[in-house]
Amino acid sequence: MSATKIDPILLSVYARTFKSITDEMSISMEQTTRSPILCEAKDYVTGLYDADGNMLEQTENLPILAFSLAPVCKYIKEYFGDEIYPGDVIFHNDVFSLGNQNNDVAAFKPVFFEDKLVAWTAVKGHQADIGGNVAGGYNPNAVEVWQEALRIPPVKVVERGKLRKDVWNLIFANVRLDIVQHDMKAEMGACTVGERRLQELLKKYGVESYEAHKQALFDATRKMMEAEIAKIPNGNYSGEGYVYFDGRFVGSKYTIRVDIEVRDKHIKFDYSRTDPQTNGFVNGTFTSSASATILTLLQMVNPDIPHNEGMVQPIEIVIPSGTILNAAYPKATTFGNHLCPPNADAIQRALAPVMPDRVTAGWNNLLASLTTGIDPGNNEKYVDIGFMGLKGGSGAMRGTDGYDHIGMIDASGGVLDQDYEMFEQQTPHTLIKHELLTDSAGAGEWRGGLGVETIFRIGSDNTQLVTFGDGDFEPAFGLFGGGEGGLNFIRLHYPDGQTVVPKNKDLITGVPMGTTYHQVASGGGGYGDPKKRDRKLLAEEIRNGVITAEAAKRDYGYEAA
Amino acid sequence: MALKIGIDVGGTFTDFVVTRDDAEPAIFKTLSTPSDPSIAVVNGLTDIAASMNPPLTLEAFAPTIDTIVHGTTVTTNATLTGTGAKCGLLTTEGVRDALEMRRGIREEQYNNRYTNVKPLVPRYLRAGITGRLDRHGAETTPLDLAQIKQAIALFKQEGVQAVSICFMNSFANPAHEQAAAELVKKEMPGAYLSVSTDLLPSIRFYERVSTTALNSYVGPKLNHYLDQLVGRLKGIGFNSLLLIMQSNGGVITPQLAREKAALTLLSGPAGGPGAGLFYVRLHGQNKCITTDMGGTSFEASVAVDAPMIKNDGEIARHKIALPMLDIHTIGAGGGSIGWLDEGGMLRMGPQSAGADPGPACYSKGGKLPATTDANVVLGYLDPGFFAGGRMKLDAAAARAAIEEHIAKPMGLSVEEAAAGMYRVACNNMAQGVREVTIKRGFDPREFPFIPAGGAGPIHSCLICSELEIPLQIVPRESSVLCAFGMLMSELKHDFVRTFVARLEAIDWARLTAMIDEMSADGTRQLVEERIAEERRRYEVKFDCRYIKQYHEVSFTVPRELIDARDTVAIARAFNAEHNRLYGYSLEAENTPIEIINVRVQAIGITDKPTYRQEAWAGADASKAMKGKRSMYIPETKGFRETPVYDGHKMHYGNRITGPAMIEQVTTAIFVSDAYDCAIDALGSFVIWQKGREDLAKACFKDNKEALV
Repeated sequence: MSATKIDPILLSVYARTFKSITDEMSISMEQTTRSPILCEAKDYVTGLYDADGNMLEQTENLPILAFSLAPVCKYIKEYFGDEIYPGDVIFHNDVFSLGNQNNDVAAFKPVFFEDKLVAWTAVKGHQADIGGNVAGGYNPNAVEVWQEALRIPPVKVVERGKLRKDVWNLIFANVRLDIVQHDMKAEMGACTVGERRLQELLKKYGVESYEAHKQALFDATRKMMEAEIAKIPNGNYSGEGYVYFDGRFVGSKYTIRVDIEVRDKHIKFDYSRTDPQTNGFVNGTFTSSASATILTLLQMVNPDIPHNEGMVQPIEIVIPSGTILNAAYPKATTFGNHLCPPNADAIQRALAPVMPDRVTAGWNNLLASLTTGIDPGNNEKYVDIGFMGLKGGSGAMRGTDGYDHIGMIDASGGVLDQDYEMFEQQTPHTLIKHELLTDSAGAGEWRGGLGVETIFRIGSDNTQLVTFGDGDFEPAFGLFGGGEGGLNFIRLHYPDGQTVVPKNKDLITGVPMGTTYHQVASGGGGYGDPKKRDRKLLAEEIRNGVITAEAAKRDYGYEAA
Repeated sequence: MALKIGIDVGGTFTDFVVTRDDAEPAIFKTLSTPSDPSIAVVNGLTDIAASMNPPLTLEAFAPTIDTIVHGTTVTTNATLTGTGAKCGLLTTEGVRDALEMRRGIREEQYNNRYTNVKPLVPRYLRAGITGRLDRHGAETTPLDLAQIKQAIALFKQEGVQAVSICFMNSFANPAHEQAAAELVKKEMPGAYLSVSTDLLPSIRFYERVSTTALNSYVGPKLNHYLDQLVGRLKGIGFNSLLLIMQSNGGVITPQLAREKAALTLLSGPAGGPGAGLFYVRLHGQNKCITTDMGGTSFEASVAVDAPMIKNDGEIARHKIALPMLDIHTIGAGGGSIGWLDEGGMLRMGPQSAGADPGPACYSKGGKLPATTDANVVLGYLDPGFFAGGRMKLDAAAARAAIEEHIAKPMGLSVEEAAAGMYRVACNNMAQGVREVTIKRGFDPREFPFIPAGGAGPIHSCLICSELEIPLQIVPRESSVLCAFGMLMSELKHDFVRTFVARLEAIDWARLTAMIDEMSADGTRQLVEERIAEERRRYEVKFDCRYIKQYHEVSFTVPRELIDARDTVAIARAFNAEHNRLYGYSLEAENTPIEIINVRVQAIGITDKPTYRQEAWAGADASKAMKGKRSMYIPETKGFRETPVYDGHKMHYGNRITGPAMIEQVTTAIFVSDAYDCAIDALGSFVIWQKGREDLAKACFKDNKEALV
């Protein structure tokens, strides 16, 4: 293998082709899945791994999925040992064997060439249901995994090309919706798309060339990542992020503590001092927490670094089991992905002193809601995920204002608002306001991204509202003299004059028609001394009404001429 | 002898195609004049007049022209460079930021330095007006005219040149928008006005407000340009038909272009795909992939019977929801710069040296190695015969740039580095072709490949090898394909209305009335354009989806099915198209289908130039051979003495074996080792994968009778 000469041009062709294969798998998913969280919100990842489970390339549509497949692939390889055959398909979701989230069910397919295992293709998507106590899997009352989901440790649903009907039926007998069978078949189809294209590539260049060049690709990428890490001064850096309310005990608060060690080309994230797990569902899994760590780091480095094994090799992540970021068996973990924002906060705070031009101030934390009810216009049930309401501003960085109305860092602008008119067609609600929120951005030489205010009139009786998230106790933090963003809230103004303020993880039933729903997803934190902000920009922003003259005077010491 | 001229204004050159019935088309190119593009138009016409036999003065020539079809990128450039008009927006209270928020997207998720695009209308000029319609179009709050007057006062005070009006749910009832428009017309008679329901009366607020704002942003510029152009053409005595190219591949009159300027926003490459179809029909084909490689970008599109249309797209990150040809653009062209990323890997583009300073070999100050420099080192471009010898290329400068920036750091020879640049560039373009084929449910191997643009046919063999495409057709007019395509375009007018209903519960009387209204609007325009009744066509499309889906699929519905109210057949057509696009349908499950929009395209068939087919000249091409040159053969990864042919001397039936180079003044065609080539009756260079002669039968003697 080492004898093969590396052709530097072919290396570029391999890299580009791997990318095009995982993109094509992603297109196949987009076009063949049916659940809106897959074909619309694109909550899935497609990837290509070598025989040992090392990431060759990955297309993750949401950054939170950046690291969700490779660890499982390695685990599966070990699990089945020499009982892996051409034509196998293996399913997996188990969060206690490196799954990231119960509802994210993966399909893995080994790729053989000339009778030798050479690679894996894999797809993981958020399934509309995966058993457990509550349809859809969001169960704020869960304390154990079985109340959340069916556990699927590595299981062969297809062996040597033959569907294992009994196994298939056992799984889907425990899932409520038929659409999930369809969408898992879509995952298998996308794996086959990738398998075929990789085999074509191998036919063209041969296994030896592939093995040698993939190693060279890892090395080149690792060097890029190491060069980025080498820019950080050696040392130990610590930061904290906070989780408010575990869904069970009002007033509860948990701390995520990260200790980062940088030694030359190596970076280690150690979460050993993080608070213990909760007794509810507000817990992370190792994989979802590690994804959050990696995506936060990726946003601080060259965005062109390819997503392969070389990218993660210089990164070490330690998250002891039994902490809120890595709950021990058999704890509930459904809220795990939403621990990404406070985890990112901890990292930004830790690295700010040594990477002042790479970190951002705090991002607005996610606070979201979901309304369901019967539309009196057609007597049909509607479900609406309130995407437009949840997207606050990002944190500012040196030289760049935060991004207005972008939403949680785990998606970073990858999930879109509903269109207003489609919203009024598909729900009985009437939109009253959805605008950038004046004075919501943290002040600074570079200001935070603006938040957004959403008001609509609920058009159905007996409406149910589920809330989940954070950001209503602590605003996005500022950096280097920059100011904080504002607080999130959701308030319901009932027609009888009563105001109901749901907790940040709550279920409210019986909301009457005519209730006004009022939500603020506030702004991101500012960066640097507000007094130094460009006065011309301030004048323009006052004219545009994104900041009031009073706030400009108070926070920036600016008085209009 | 109808004389028609297609004129395509590009960044560097303005292309002209001159056709007369039963004559070979003539090609002219003149340098563009960006400050007033109409100057280049007149310069080119002067050249054409002088080339007539006997030569004519411009004033004698201009009155003999029957039709000019003109493609302009005035609106495109204004948007890309942010130099459109100062605009104001009247919209519904509470949603004035939709235009700026763009549904909350950040296109680069890992890049925290990626900032939002500057809104087309600044926030202080976006006025939220009290007044509301519900989802069915019924008024729930009356429109506050006093607020509109206030906003108008502000617009006047601020020197606003163009006003847009877009209210919530207006697709269901235009009354509020019309009332507001009346006020604006009265108070600001000189302002350019765009009303969302005139332009795009269909559901989806963000799409509509963005499209309307774009129309206002570019409208004043286009009007100014058309004033200049029409003035100059009148001045030289041209008084016949002038038509303007639009993004949907059709043409319109200047008057309509003035009102709906946004229709021209993506019209630059829109002539190409239709032209591609013209050339493949000779080979019994009804479909093709048309590509166009320019200095900075590479465009790819698919046509099956007609060019593929999509109902929305983007320009400079702004949404535009008008029907347009489905053309995919990537940053790959002759000027694309080669560079090494931080991991030491070779990349090509998207940064481009453009035409100025251009590739290093242009000797205009460019020091970075571009695709064209690699072409010179590989022997594909003859430094003494670029643009037919009108421009000398500096081969030493090309070598030096590649040596310094690619070869040395990678430890390669200059030739190896150039071959690598060529290969990576072709690989990028092949991925661009995948976007319009595989992503849209088409298998690229089943399509003839049309490479256009001056540099396209040097790269097409490697692109086609990558995609396993066995047949290429290079038209003689390939370097000016868009200008040629404009002459083949019909008058096209698109109309859309939103009509939300379950397919099985359609109010047919209402729907038919809606279709008839749109058709009548189309007829009115076609009559104004003096299109006789027998040349008018109407195509109806429905946008449908399965209930609870989020995206619609647009498909053609024959008028008979509408008149027969045949929902079963309409559902079948929808299921079939859904299956083609996405690989499944929900027909078996009997999932209800809902209609969201209904569209009518009114088509006026224009007079097309007719072509004289070439006479059979025999298979022997030796008379066209100019000599031999050493060039890089990708299949064997080495240089080889390769025959060079003069394309202008090659005629119907002439056949050559790859590898070979065919040179014309405006194009070079590289036939690689894996391909052979022959000329068809239209003079096109037909290139097939060795062993696949069956695809090129139209070029062989046994079949020549069958062609005509």
